[in-house]
Amino acid sequence: MNTFGSLPRWGKRAAGVATIMAVAIGLGACSSAADDNKPAASGDKSDVLLVQGIRSLSNSYHANWAAGGDLFGESVGKKVIVLSDEADSQKQLSLVKGLAAKGQVYALNIDPNTSSDTEAIVRTVTEAGGYVVTQWNKPDDLNPWDIGDHWVAHIGFDGTGIGKDVSQTLFDSMGGEGGIIALQGILDNKPAKQRFAGLQEALKANPGITLLDDQTANWSRTEALSVTQTLLAKHGDKVKGVWAANDEMALGALEALKAAGLAGKVPIIGFDAVPQALDEIKSGTNKYVATVSTDPWWQGGAALSLAYKAATGEIDVSKLSHDQRAFYAEQSIVTKDNVEKYTKAPTLEALKPDLDDPFKRFSAAIN
Amino acid sequence: MSQSGPQVADSPATGTPSRASSPTPPDPTAPSGFARVRGLIGGGGPAVALVVLIAFFSIATPNFFSVSNASSLLSQLSILLVISIGLTFVILLGSLDLSVEGVMASSSLVFVLLAANDRNDLSLGFVALIAGVLTGSLFGLLNGVLHVYLKVPSFMVTLGTGAIGVGLATVLFGGRAPRLMDDGLRGLGFGNVGIFPKLALIAILVLIVALLVQKFTRVGRYGYAIGGDEPVVRLSGVNVERYKVLSFVLAGTGSGIAGVMAAMQLGVGDVSIGAGFQFTAITAVVLGGTALVGGIGGVGKTLVGAAIITVLANGLILLGVNPYVQISVQGLVIVVAVVATGWSLRKRVRAIK
Repeated sequence: MNTFGSLPRWGKRAAGVATIMAVAIGLGACSSAADDNKPAASGDKSDVLLVQGIRSLSNSYHANWAAGGDLFGESVGKKVIVLSDEADSQKQLSLVKGLAAKGQVYALNIDPNTSSDTEAIVRTVTEAGGYVVTQWNKPDDLNPWDIGDHWVAHIGFDGTGIGKDVSQTLFDSMGGEGGIIALQGILDNKPAKQRFAGLQEALKANPGITLLDDQTANWSRTEALSVTQTLLAKHGDKVKGVWAANDEMALGALEALKAAGLAGKVPIIGFDAVPQALDEIKSGTNKYVATVSTDPWWQGGAALSLAYKAATGEIDVSKLSHDQRAFYAEQSIVTKDNVEKYTKAPTLEALKPDLDDPFKRFSAAIN
Repeated sequence: MSQSGPQVADSPATGTPSRASSPTPPDPTAPSGFARVRGLIGGGGPAVALVVLIAFFSIATPNFFSVSNASSLLSQLSILLVISIGLTFVILLGSLDLSVEGVMASSSLVFVLLAANDRNDLSLGFVALIAGVLTGSLFGLLNGVLHVYLKVPSFMVTLGTGAIGVGLATVLFGGRAPRLMDDGLRGLGFGNVGIFPKLALIAILVLIVALLVQKFTRVGRYGYAIGGDEPVVRLSGVNVERYKVLSFVLAGTGSGIAGVMAAMQLGVGDVSIGAGFQFTAITAVVLGGTALVGGIGGVGKTLVGAAIITVLANGLILLGVNPYVQISVQGLVIVVAVVATGWSLRKRVRAIK
């Protein structure tokens, strides 16, 4: 409050406004400077640059994604450039814009930070003459064919179907009856909605299971712990299973169960296959029965392969169907039986069929 | 606002600062025990609101007034309370500390990575615990120095240092949450003593220390005066800078302790361990009756604010309110409580910053 201490009251306000304006102008200047990087695409299709756009190498999911891309790079004898944006949308876009300066046709496989970033990214790539495959986030009403052949495809993951299957795994471990509590993600997030819809479908098929309560814990481990505590106080020993829309929340719930002396008695499931969840599944002592993996190595390898094939002309994008250009890919349930497969990178040999046919794990059209 | 000099912080009977209209020094006769409590936690709105909420949920739900829920309420209150207590010292100055989540992230990871963990071979025991807390203090010191000596608005500085905290934590995190393997250390904050969660015992200890600091130390007492009218305090020869920096150190230490507590509770150090606590904590402080403009409030009041938020979140779940509606109901109750609390202060708090 005393920063502009000596100024009169209106002066303080004016100084505050000036600060905000200066920041705004500064930001504006940054983005227009980035615009100056005009595309200089050359059309040499034999020398395609391979690029991954990920959030950060410091999280295991994206590190595995990058490793999958490296496997593909190895298969065609090229190095892969990794752009990591540290969850900063502005940085992500300027990194993509910077690719034009390399003066090469590039194949980009990217995880846009948010749905609203996708259009700017694919337009930038189109202008520069590159080829891009996007994953996870795109606006519902925007499709690759709206933009053109340089946005090769968008790959999503449908939480509904797999959500139903993994819920069934939970119910089976409960012997098909009893009450469960559900921890939802951020309620307006698409995966949160889909995963919960999957749970509800599974509930319809299992009349012995009752959903005692569903609450949001906003994807957070800390919040999940306190919500689970409250729900345990509310429902007591009627709680026979815990369903969580991601592993972070499931792990938070597990700590609440431990504190209540229920760990190992109440089975838990989550989604996303984070390393600690995989460890829990492997050890089995706390009855963490299953999680869901999108297989990040596949996401990094097969989707980059798709962008590359479009860039080299091996795939003619204009001949792909709409289903192929916006599709949900298969996911897998990870349980004690197959957990080893998801704790370490596949060999190039194991991934090769998916690299050769990027549509091999097609599960459904998005539209 | 408080014209009666730095010595007079709270007049015990009303829980609000002495007015300019009463130039007499505070009543030297010792207040009764009841008045003393009222002076501490604030007499009016917030305490009444808390009692009303507790009464309502006790009647409306069968489980609210049960031993197991009381124990879960206490453990849910603990971490929020420790953060909010620290923040109170800064908000009393009329400043803000927005680095809570970043500081908690860093301190939780420093703590876990120095204690026995599944990442490295270190096992420093209590040293790890102290290092985790001191991480918070250091961030507080950085906040205070940058704010006070470089004269940058506190919310900007702390937003920046908070981001540094998240960045540091991300580097330490290295892709997966390191697990705390020292059962002795974890046992300090995990589980119960009788029906008392250990976390709550830590929080009570922090509360007692904070009350003592507020009442008997210069940083505590000058804080009110600086928040009330800084130029006057400066003119009376007080080293304002020093006490402001110290207040930020207290806030950072609070977040540091909270980060360590959260790590004990969850058994991991995590970048997102403090997610959501920043604004809940500010809300708790303000809801309790500490004014954002500074000079009015106190740690005891913050206890009431934090309790209201905790009871509300817990009670709405027990009541089975639809999660889609819950957040709005929480917001509504908070707005009503703040308006009701601030009603008597309308004239005195002329500017809302």
